[in-house]
Amino acid sequence: MSEHGSPDDLKSLGERLDKARRDRMGAAPGDGKRQGALEGSALGLGFRVGLELVVAVVFGLGVGWAIDRWLGTKPWAMVVFLMLGIAAGMLSVYKAMTGMGSAIGYGGLDRPATDEDETKED
Amino acid sequence: MAEEHVSPLHQFVIKPIVPLHVGHLDLSYTNSALFMTVTVVLVTLFIVLSTSGAGLVPTRWQSTAELVYEFVANMVRDNVGSQGRKYFPFIFSLFMFILFGNLIGMVPYTFTFTSHIVVTFAMALFIFVAVTAIAIARHGFHFFSYFAPKGVPWVMLLLLVPIEIVSYLIRPCTLAIRLFANMMAGHTMLIIFAGFVTALGILGVLPLVFNMGFILLEFLVAVLQAYVYTILTCIYLHDAIHLH
Repeated sequence: MSEHGSPDDLKSLGERLDKARRDRMGAAPGDGKRQGALEGSALGLGFRVGLELVVAVVFGLGVGWAIDRWLGTKPWAMVVFLMLGIAAGMLSVYKAMTGMGSAIGYGGLDRPATDEDETKED
Repeated sequence: MAEEHVSPLHQFVIKPIVPLHVGHLDLSYTNSALFMTVTVVLVTLFIVLSTSGAGLVPTRWQSTAELVYEFVANMVRDNVGSQGRKYFPFIFSLFMFILFGNLIGMVPYTFTFTSHIVVTFAMALFIFVAVTAIAIARHGFHFFSYFAPKGVPWVMLLLLVPIEIVSYLIRPCTLAIRLFANMMAGHTMLIIFAGFVTALGILGVLPLVFNMGFILLEFLVAVLQAYVYTILTCIYLHDAIHLH
């Protein structure tokens, strides 16, 4: 029954416009320091983490094998890089599970929460 | 049933259409390249035609284009931040290329170029190099100090730095393998179950029903994997811009 262009409509339109303008001009949600884990189902997270674990191990094995072939140090580079690969795979699983994302380093771990963080994370 | 045996992987064979050899390089124009061209042409047509004569009240096509644009723009804003705006054209092109590539691959008798690791890895490698270059350009050689956690005894650094470097280097590999494996596995499954339909006679209805459901799932995977590839690119870009 409400007629077209009643003051209420205009008011809510104004609010929506303001919100849209704020969203566009203000700080973007991605400006914060830490990025949470990729959103999605637990199943998706599981697949992601599983893939990273496997790829890291295979990558370590492959790099080690290539270095062995190149330098003739069979089998030492393969052993070392396989272990590095396993460790890296576990590290990326750990990072994914603790919500540190895929960032380099341990910045999310050793840094105590500062004021800057709190203002940015709200 | 009497048909010759065709491997389920036969659909992924690269066939040259216009053979071209330069020295030892095989630069033939292949079916893969053909469908990449088709994808690029279709994306361009979609965007150009739907936004030509753009009106304040959008037509159906225009609002579809605006929907995709807004979707990617929000993805960049939410995951890269406001400084990521200048990378938006690249992210948008990447998303459209993969999305259309995946969806065109769902049409029978087409070729899914995203099911080749060469294609996905080339894109992932480009992203990896670009993101690393952006990080170094923005943070200088300070970037490398992030591989070494602070306050750790130097003996541990000998162990931690290589692990950190390896976990950084596997990024393009996981990015490439995720897309390629999803597309290849899905398309292979479809062919295998389609083979059961003819082989089982009257019972072939069962795999047929399964395949009908699976095709829907494949459409979901096609869109989802384009999304995942793009959002991971955004997250890597975010990490490069805001180093922890």
